[in-house]
Amino acid sequence: MHVVLEKTLKNASSYFQNFFIHEYNQRGILHAIDSRVKLLSSITFVILAVSTFELEKLLFLFLSLILVSAILGVNLKSLIKRVWLFTFFSFIVVSPFLLQNPKYSLIFTLRVLIALLAVQMLVMSTSFAEICFALRSLKVPELFVHALWMAYRYILVVFQDIINILLARESRRVSKGSHRDLWKKGGESIGLFFLRSIERAERIQLAIASRGEKIFGTNAKLGMLEIIYITLSGFIVLWWLIL
Amino acid sequence: MHIPDGYLDLSIAGTFFVLTVVVLGYSIYRLKGEKLTSLFGVLSAAIFAAQMLNWPIPGGTSAHFVGGSLAGILLGPYAGALAMAIVVTIQTLVFNDGGITAWGANVWNMAIVNVFLGYYIYQLFSRFSRSFSAFIAGWLGITVAAIFVGLEIGLSTSFAYGLTITIPIMGIWHAILGVVEGMITAGVVGYLAVRRADLLEKKEVGKASFALIAGLIALSPVFAYLAEAVGYSEPMENAAEVLGLEEHSLYESIFPDYTIPGLDPYTGTLISGAIGALIVLSLAYAVKYARSSRKDA
Repeated sequence: MHVVLEKTLKNASSYFQNFFIHEYNQRGILHAIDSRVKLLSSITFVILAVSTFELEKLLFLFLSLILVSAILGVNLKSLIKRVWLFTFFSFIVVSPFLLQNPKYSLIFTLRVLIALLAVQMLVMSTSFAEICFALRSLKVPELFVHALWMAYRYILVVFQDIINILLARESRRVSKGSHRDLWKKGGESIGLFFLRSIERAERIQLAIASRGEKIFGTNAKLGMLEIIYITLSGFIVLWWLIL
Repeated sequence: MHIPDGYLDLSIAGTFFVLTVVVLGYSIYRLKGEKLTSLFGVLSAAIFAAQMLNWPIPGGTSAHFVGGSLAGILLGPYAGALAMAIVVTIQTLVFNDGGITAWGANVWNMAIVNVFLGYYIYQLFSRFSRSFSAFIAGWLGITVAAIFVGLEIGLSTSFAYGLTITIPIMGIWHAILGVVEGMITAGVVGYLAVRRADLLEKKEVGKASFALIAGLIALSPVFAYLAEAVGYSEPMENAAEVLGLEEHSLYESIFPDYTIPGLDPYTGTLISGAIGALIVLSLAYAVKYARSSRKDA
């Protein structure tokens, strides 16, 4: 079990590092823009990126997103740090085509990079609560959005639970055991973990029932800042479409 | 297992988005009225946490648990699909694990195919042995979900590898890794069968709707194939072709195809790109100015 623990903790530390830093604490201008506007514009940019193989359009989109991020207070170094790994992975995936069709490999990677940039512009400037508010405002069903918000808040708590269970089992273990044993015992540990999670969920549900369940309001109005950002996004779309 | 943005053609991404919204929408409709927010929330978080465990497999590599079949067995297919969809959505919006345009396809594979198939296989064999049926459900659920991933990216012309490469790679690799998924699912079900057997009772699913969803899952590759057969091109270009606007355009843009009439294409592209970037720049500064005025006010 110690192998599971070691590998998991190593993996989890980098995962939770992302988890903690994704709510980027350096507040720029992009933070002040309404989350609904940012969500919709990011989705639009991703769609623009993945619906063309024209290099000119992609380069224009890439430059626009970099310019907008830099001017509106997103740290470019952090932005690149968040997107380079998967962009590189995508390049490796299509690298067998590098010799016969280098343009395809380059454009494919650029499409992935732009899509990642567009999503990171949203993630780095918007808290998860604001994203949930935006989803709710866009008529995503209440049950789904509330459960999404609750899952996000409980990830750390339940992860602590599972690590505690594995540590307790590991401290009682006397023999090494085979892979088969490990998976079987691991399954039992996860069984216990799910049981505890279900019981925790039942307690929380009772607490929520006693307090009321409304989590998100939906009455924020759009101001001048949002209108200009919509114009900016609209211009990028228009330029991409008509030229 | 998570498909990023840029790997799928929009026609295929759109097809799976629609299919996913239909099945998830129906699942939410089925669960309406039940106070289940915390159950979904906490169990989705639990599945998310369980996915972070790295299980060593012989040869030095490791695999992680996905939990789609287990979610189906524990919560029933509708609630299980919803819980897994929540996990996939958090992975997309927080960790960039899976793309926004591929959200429909990712939820379809991991939250619908995996959950419904896992649940059905478990119910089919559980009369013989709960642990064995949970193993088969976990193993086959993840393997078929991976085959669907291979199918979606293999059908997409954006991704240069064809079906003959993507399906075997995804299918065979996950059939091997899926053994760990099956073993853990069996371990969890075996443990719960002793401690809380009530959680493993058969859920009310409705035969007709369940058959309809099974039909949608079975036919979804055909829908994807048809979507691709319509032809991959930009929707605006399709519309223009249908209306005959390519020959008789209604509006001649200032910089057609990023060029400037009279200049060679390279200089034209450079200048039109620079003009576009300048406009973006000035609009971005306008946002910045509006923000400082809001602060002052």
